[in-house]
Amino acid sequence: MHYMTRAGAVRAVDGVTFSVERGQSLGLVGESGCGKSSIAISLLKILPDSARILSGSILLEGVDILPLSEDEMREYRWKRISMVFQAAMNSLDPVYRVGDQIIEALELHVGSAPSEAVERVRELYDLVGLNHSFIPRYPHEYSGGMKQRAIIAMALACEPAIIVADEPTTALDVIVQDRILREMRKVRDALDMSMIYISHDMAVIAEVSDVVGVMYAGRIVEFGETKDVFENPIHPYTRALMSAFPSVTGEKRELATLPGEPPNLLAPPSGCRFHPRCPYATEECRSQPPPTVRRGVHWADCWNPPEDQSP
Amino acid sequence: MSPQRTYSQTQPSLWKARLTLATRSLRQSWTLFLATRIGVIGLAIIAFYALLAAAHPILMMFVWEERVYDPVVGYAFEETRQPAPPSLKHPLGTDPLGRDVLSQLMFSARSEFMLGLLAALVTVSIGTIVGAVSAYFGGVVDAVLMRLADIMIMLPVISVLVVLSALIGVEHFELAIIIGIVSGFGATGVVLKSQALSVVVKPYVEAAKTAGGGHVHVIFVHVVPNLLPLSFLYMMFTVTGAIFSEAVLSFLGLLDVRMSWGLMIHVTESAGYLLQVTEYWWLIFPASLSITLLCSSFYLVGRSLDEVVNPRLRQL
Amino acid sequence: MAHYLVKRSAQILLTLFVFLSLVFFIVNAQPGDVSSFYALNPDIPPETRERMQDLFGVNDPLWKQYLVHVRNTFTGNFGVSFSHYPRTVADIIRERLPRTLALFLTASVISFYLGFALGKIIAWRRGGWTEYTSTIGGVTLYTVFTPWFGLMMIWLFAFRAGWFPIGKFLDPVLWRDAPTDANAIFNRMILSAIVVSIAVFALFAVTAKRRMAHSRLIRIGGLALSALAVAAAWFATGTGYLAWDILKHMILPVATLTLISFAGTMLLTRNSMLETMREDYVMAARAKGLPEKDVRDRHVARNALLPIVTSFVFSLAFAVDGGVIIEQIFSWPGMGQTLVSAALTEDLPLAVGAFVFVGVFVLIAHLAADILYVYLDPRIRY
Ligand SMILES: Nc1ncnc2c1ncn2[C@@H]1O[C@H](COP(=O)(O)OP(=O)(O)O)[C@@H](O)[C@H]1O
Ligand code: SF4
Ligand SMILES: [Mg+2]
Repeated sequence: MHYMTRAGAVRAVDGVTFSVERGQSLGLVGESGCGKSSIAISLLKILPDSARILSGSILLEGVDILPLSEDEMREYRWKRISMVFQAAMNSLDPVYRVGDQIIEALELHVGSAPSEAVERVRELYDLVGLNHSFIPRYPHEYSGGMKQRAIIAMALACEPAIIVADEPTTALDVIVQDRILREMRKVRDALDMSMIYISHDMAVIAEVSDVVGVMYAGRIVEFGETKDVFENPIHPYTRALMSAFPSVTGEKRELATLPGEPPNLLAPPSGCRFHPRCPYATEECRSQPPPTVRRGVHWADCWNPPEDQSP
Repeated sequence: MSPQRTYSQTQPSLWKARLTLATRSLRQSWTLFLATRIGVIGLAIIAFYALLAAAHPILMMFVWEERVYDPVVGYAFEETRQPAPPSLKHPLGTDPLGRDVLSQLMFSARSEFMLGLLAALVTVSIGTIVGAVSAYFGGVVDAVLMRLADIMIMLPVISVLVVLSALIGVEHFELAIIIGIVSGFGATGVVLKSQALSVVVKPYVEAAKTAGGGHVHVIFVHVVPNLLPLSFLYMMFTVTGAIFSEAVLSFLGLLDVRMSWGLMIHVTESAGYLLQVTEYWWLIFPASLSITLLCSSFYLVGRSLDEVVNPRLRQL
Repeated sequence: MAHYLVKRSAQILLTLFVFLSLVFFIVNAQPGDVSSFYALNPDIPPETRERMQDLFGVNDPLWKQYLVHVRNTFTGNFGVSFSHYPRTVADIIRERLPRTLALFLTASVISFYLGFALGKIIAWRRGGWTEYTSTIGGVTLYTVFTPWFGLMMIWLFAFRAGWFPIGKFLDPVLWRDAPTDANAIFNRMILSAIVVSIAVFALFAVTAKRRMAHSRLIRIGGLALSALAVAAAWFATGTGYLAWDILKHMILPVATLTLISFAGTMLLTRNSMLETMREDYVMAARAKGLPEKDVRDRHVARNALLPIVTSFVFSLAFAVDGGVIIEQIFSWPGMGQTLVSAALTEDLPLAVGAFVFVGVFVLIAHLAADILYVYLDPRIRY
């Protein structure tokens, strides 16, 4: 997926392939600007005007949603695939009551009568641990954590098959963050939903996901079961990300062992996109795209992978 | 060495750095400005009228006979009937009093520019000082200035000028000053204050204060220069307002001016030709179109400057 | 909310006093006292002049004069007009204020509705010729020399096409042996308009609240029905032709004023919509699967409305000036035309009185905008 800007095409997502099983949780991790949110909005096809999906396919329960028209797509949104937004704080419309915003989705997709819809909102509030008295209140009366719960309740409203959660807890303090993570896991287990969980924080990903994809500069550079990736990371970028955790403050911090920033995606570096920052970079890294190293389902794209340390 | 000394010594280089920065950003802004297109159209119209204004005294001196072509007291003797339609000698015809319309048009262009410039200068001087002072001192000073701004913003300026014209008599100079005051203490002052608020919290302002710079010094050396680009933008809207108000007032016959575009239409109206739009088009269209074009050109330039200054409005 | 409104009302009251002081200052800045206006006019008998001297307290110290000036404003005592001698200024204003309100409010409501609807559409269809032409057209209407534009409207639709009368409030020939005087008829017309608007507003509110099907049909039907009912009532009383005469005189000035002021709302709406469209809740609304029209109207436009109401205050002065100009061009005998002709005939008491009323009107409109804002934004309401 590319953003067409005046300065040229920003290749925000470039050759990414992954799949999620029913009930499975996939984590996507990477620094900000790596294209994680771009993947998320592509999955629902809620792209800004400047964005184009040039090629590829997105299969949802076996149907490719890319060629679908807006009208057909609307049937999928929220009912089959819903989303918890990165900026949860601002994802609620300030001029409507929170309860009404959830009911809006219910009436649209489930077609429930007003009284049933209100009943359903009560259930959802119970599920995410919010007090019923907040249903008829406005977003500005909610605290940050409460807004986040409300957003999660809204995402669950139509019992979608898959939820995309884009940095759902980044803006919250660690304690609230922890509680919400636990609740999300509980809800997911209870409802047997799939989930794509996006974060820049390795610690969070480790906690919530079954499989992990590590993103760098618009590509997935390493992929595998969470356990494998964490115990035996292959890609130098993954290792750099891991050295930055555990997080104590929950704030965005510099990667300790990794100076610099992700590249400008207007003109990504040649060869391995990570080479300008990689401590192990060699000549071929600069000129040739790296080969895929496979260890079972666990793989990574790198010229100079470390020794396999698994038994 | 006292901190005061160090401070004043760094000043020349400070200004130099500022100048380099300014030229660089000016060049960037110019590129952006050119990309807006509407701004370029506006600029072209302004240039056209500036040319007309500049050519008038030259024509009067070398080509046009004063007895015939004077915009106020001239008379087209060779025409048998006034107003006369356009001819070679009078490309835009003559008015009901036998005066050359083109000469009137060109003569008035100059006074419109002077009026607009004066009003804009008054606006900017008042606006930047009000904005800077209000943001710098805050508190009571701010409260008083902002209440005053409230009323200036709500003041229907043309109605005020109508009343004033009955009370004291208004000419171009008074008109420019009044418009400058209303806009400077009003909308322009408010906008510049919000800009100044982001300037007064900058470290260098704090540093200048601790280095012992007096209030006046800090305001004029560190705050005001940062407001100038934005105030330049608001100058454009003031010019539009000034030209428009002048035209309305002189059209109503409430302004003591010898000649202006609005007055040209007023004369047409008094002579009863106002609704003979097709038969006597040269009495109505040149002046009306000039007012409209010059007003919109400054407005267009202002709008594109707005896009240059506020990146939010730019299209990606 | 109450707190906010009290604060705003206090501020506006303060502004009113500053405004009155300004008027006082201007009037007293010129040579001679207020009563010397009256001395200039040979038609005014000396008794009246003395009465006016008492009214304005010209022999008192300045601060007392100021208090008298404020009191006179609140009691509507502006003295006697010269050009309409012996009518009082208050009497003239009482007659003309409704005419101005009718003209101005009708034009404002229509232009707001039109500007908002169009701005919404332009912002939604970014780019392309719709945006280009409407922006050009909008800027042209916004900066056009208003008197000329009014003139062209008169020339085109009244003079050439003959569809409407050329200016003025009514056709004197028609009214020569009318059973009722024009002001009574006009007041009844305003009453009818209020009745119709209340009916339509109630229908709007009910259909919006219940989210009824065919809400548009019900609304338009309701509007048509209530308008028909009122029209029938008029013709039943036999004064319908008189009301129609006034209405015919009103259409062109209202249309002109609407055209010049709607462009501002349209451009503003467009910008505000474009900013709101970037908000996260808009993307969320789309992700929920709402149809584009609902995303646009319920979420984007509803939020874009807030800054538009705020900047309404900024454009108020511009709109009032536009009204003054249009009244003058169309010889519509309202406050604006009164102000200009009073200035032209140097009828100072009338000019000052009319101006004070224009100022008070702006302040009231400001307060109305504040109340509307409170109603629209729950962040302030609660
Ligand atoms: N609307 C947009 N227009 C142009 N470029 C964009 C836009 N949104 C994101 N980008 C660019 O796309 C890249 C990926 O952004 P994003 O998907 O938000 O990354 P992440 O979620 O990982 O932080 C970044 O380089 C960003 O600058
Ligand atoms: S391919 Fe080379 S540059 Fe890229 S991650 Fe591996 S070692 Fe580093
Ligand atoms: Mg992101």
